Amino acid sequence: MSLEQPTLDVGEAPDSGLDYDELADLLGDAVLDREQHAHAEGFVVRADEVEAVLSTLKQEAGFDLLSCVTAQEYQDRYESIYHLKKYKDPTQELSIVVPTPTDRPVSQSGSEVYETANWHEREAYDLVGIQYDEHPDLRRILLPETWQGHPLSRGYNQKKPQIVPLSENPNPMQTKTRESGDSDTMFLNIGPHHPATHGVLHLKTVLDGEQVVDVDPDIGYLHRCEEQMCQQSTYRHQIMPYPDRWDYLSSGILNEWAYARTAEELADIEVPEYAQVIRTMGAELCRIASHLLAVGTFGLDIYGDFTAIFMYTVTDREVIENILEDLTGQRLMFNYLRLGGVAWDLPEPREDFFEKVRDFTAEFPESLQEYHNMLSSNEIFHMRVKDTGILPPEEAKSYGCTGPVARGSGIDYDLRRDDPYGYYDELDWNVITDDGCDNYSRAYVRLEEMRESVRIIDQCVDILEEWPEDEREIQANVPRTLKPDPDTEIYRAVEGAKGELGIYIRSDGTDKPARFKIRSPAFCNLQSLEVMSEGEYIPDLVASLGSLDVVLGEVDR
Amino acid sequence: MTLPDTISDLLGIGGTGGDLVGALFGAVLVGSIILAQAAVAGPWAKRKITAAFTDRIAIDKIGPMGLGYIIVDSVRLLSKELIIPEGVDRPAYDIAPVLLAGSALLGFAVIPMGSGIQLADPEVGLIYVFAVASLASVALVMAGYSSNNKYSFLGGLRAVAQNLAYEIPLILTGISVVIFAGSLQMSEIVAAQSQTLVDLGPVAVPAWYAILNPFAFVLFLAANFAEVGRNPFDLPEAGQEIVAGFQTEYSSVYFVLLYLGEFIHIFLGGALIATIFLGGPAGPVLPGIVWFLVKIWGVFLLTQWFRSAVPRVRIDQMIEIGWKGLLVLSFANLFITAVIVGVLPT
Repeated sequence: MSLEQPTLDVGEAPDSGLDYDELADLLGDAVLDREQHAHAEGFVVRADEVEAVLSTLKQEAGFDLLSCVTAQEYQDRYESIYHLKKYKDPTQELSIVVPTPTDRPVSQSGSEVYETANWHEREAYDLVGIQYDEHPDLRRILLPETWQGHPLSRGYNQKKPQIVPLSENPNPMQTKTRESGDSDTMFLNIGPHHPATHGVLHLKTVLDGEQVVDVDPDIGYLHRCEEQMCQQSTYRHQIMPYPDRWDYLSSGILNEWAYARTAEELADIEVPEYAQVIRTMGAELCRIASHLLAVGTFGLDIYGDFTAIFMYTVTDREVIENILEDLTGQRLMFNYLRLGGVAWDLPEPREDFFEKVRDFTAEFPESLQEYHNMLSSNEIFHMRVKDTGILPPEEAKSYGCTGPVARGSGIDYDLRRDDPYGYYDELDWNVITDDGCDNYSRAYVRLEEMRESVRIIDQCVDILEEWPEDEREIQANVPRTLKPDPDTEIYRAVEGAKGELGIYIRSDGTDKPARFKIRSPAFCNLQSLEVMSEGEYIPDLVASLGSLDVVLGEVDR
Repeated sequence: MTLPDTISDLLGIGGTGGDLVGALFGAVLVGSIILAQAAVAGPWAKRKITAAFTDRIAIDKIGPMGLGYIIVDSVRLLSKELIIPEGVDRPAYDIAPVLLAGSALLGFAVIPMGSGIQLADPEVGLIYVFAVASLASVALVMAGYSSNNKYSFLGGLRAVAQNLAYEIPLILTGISVVIFAGSLQMSEIVAAQSQTLVDLGPVAVPAWYAILNPFAFVLFLAANFAEVGRNPFDLPEAGQEIVAGFQTEYSSVYFVLLYLGEFIHIFLGGALIATIFLGGPAGPVLPGIVWFLVKIWGVFLLTQWFRSAVPRVRIDQMIEIGWKGLLVLSFANLFITAVIVGVLPT
């Protein structure tokens, strides 16, 4: 192998912040200009140097996480923004801005450097219309192949109906099933309606016997134009209900927090401590509910239907739903967070609410032990999930995996600790990782994370109980119409149930965002399914998919 | 004396006519008993049992404890539209459900159910049961292959692989019992288990082969789970993997027949276990038929327990367990049994 060891300290100032000047020197002529974004500096880069720039930054400056690729069209140009981070310190961020002319929006692809760019650039092509040179597979990803136009580009006519006759769509039965006459493989459509896909996901699978030769996830069945709807809504109140509908399986508050954090930082809103504690508690309750469902359905995938593990987890989740209903008034679509705080204080009588939460946190470790008994100490379960669905850490990083998927591959990355927000840095809890890199590790990480979440909730309740009555400030002063400064760009992320849930907002001085981009963790994690399942059996593919814990509402947005 | 003879005696008809009438009435009686079990098990007991395992209530709205669902569901299932997909391979597609349900029912012809209920008692009784039970595999392959669906096809292939791997251990373990009993005839096997093994004062431990040779009993149970396709070996219809396997394209009456066939098959497995390991219909106080039903329901309960609590193994692991594990163990069991029976005087 190469004797050159990647040096990972270029561009790091002694106080472990970033030294942007040194990074700019490293990239040399490729950098045309430097911009100030609200979260990091942005380097404007020539469209034909993208791969070289990203490769240099990854190899020599240690930017090993490509969080997101945001594409947008200005009056005079297209722009793709690569949001780079470091797994070891996500506060070190850098945006690579690639402008391309309106008449010829062609930019070099970054998918050679980061695997995750593959899907992100496909999405950018699909929705905004930027072409990526040297992209291995530049097809539409969320919209059907027959879609006309790029809906988020400026010239797109939103009112024109898309009339595409069925005959223009390829018939999957004819084109794909018999690829070549003498092949031994079989093409199998798993989904969009299939018991194991946890929603409307379509896996185009090529099988050799029962072994998976190739799998190509086909997503977009649940695309609801969330980004565009947010762009048409006002910051102050209209956007907040949408995040509940991305990952709609009970991680609502986590999603809301992603928007709240980004918008609050964009508009410089200081959130009262008391509200932060309530947010933290609510978010962790959501995390447990979400992980319970993940573990339960994972059990379902391994055990078969009608099994105890799923019903037990759902029973426990029900308790959390009840608590959240008391807190927010809703069971799934909470709409509880507000910019600058939360919608209302804890329900009265407070003692009853605290007692309810305490009962749950006291009993939950026992249930957790039961899940461990059924899963992690079951030999047949071990036989099934250990050493299957292997996702090595290097691959995981290249695919931009975050959350329990990354932590199950031994990557110690958790935004709650590494890029603290809310009240997390005041509390005592651990980040769980496991080096197994297999389906088992991912399930194990989720199980143990619930234990940590319970600890966090317990501490939050302690703090809330002792909070002086006259200092219970739940909402900061926020103008009725929020108009952030024009041309401010920001990308901020929180640790959602599935991983890094980030949002990019560009403001144009009005009360609605000019560009609203969602970095969905499930979208990035799902792309890694191909490395995990190739060469394995169908049951392992199903188990891997279950261990990724994707929610299609979040994948397709 | 078998059941048809009893019936013809009762009716006072002799000769061929008597044989025919007796056989007909006997078959109707036995068939009704078994179908009644399946009817209770399918729409009602199965739901109630799994619900109990998973902390639920399940059906309880129609009739006491939801027993009315047996009738309601039967009507519902039978009145559904029968959809036959384009491109299915008929008549194989139509024969498969009938064959699956029929083959399992045929097996009950030689099972002594106690209280004099046994249709026939041929000298090759045990082999006959194994033979007709194997017909079910043919039905599964037919269903899988003729459905013109890849999931069905995969399910059919899995069914063959599974049955090949598990039928041999099943039969070999059954044969080890035959060595003990010295006969393939069902009534002889039951009779051989009627002696008392140990007398513990008030309780007399019977010489059931499950007690005499627990190793063979466990082997047979394991192989039987694979034979009837229940967890951890429910791969031919593994819902999360291949939708519903060979049943994917079946609806209405055909689906009912397939489902019924599976349940009868589980009961046939239970009947075999009861007959060759648990003393058949033997038991104190209550009549034989009651004990027999208790035993087959016991086995059914066990399958439902496994279904709720045991993960499914992967297809390659299952084949490995079959060929490398159970086959070797069942040969060892057969050999040791043969040596013991040969060396030790009875």
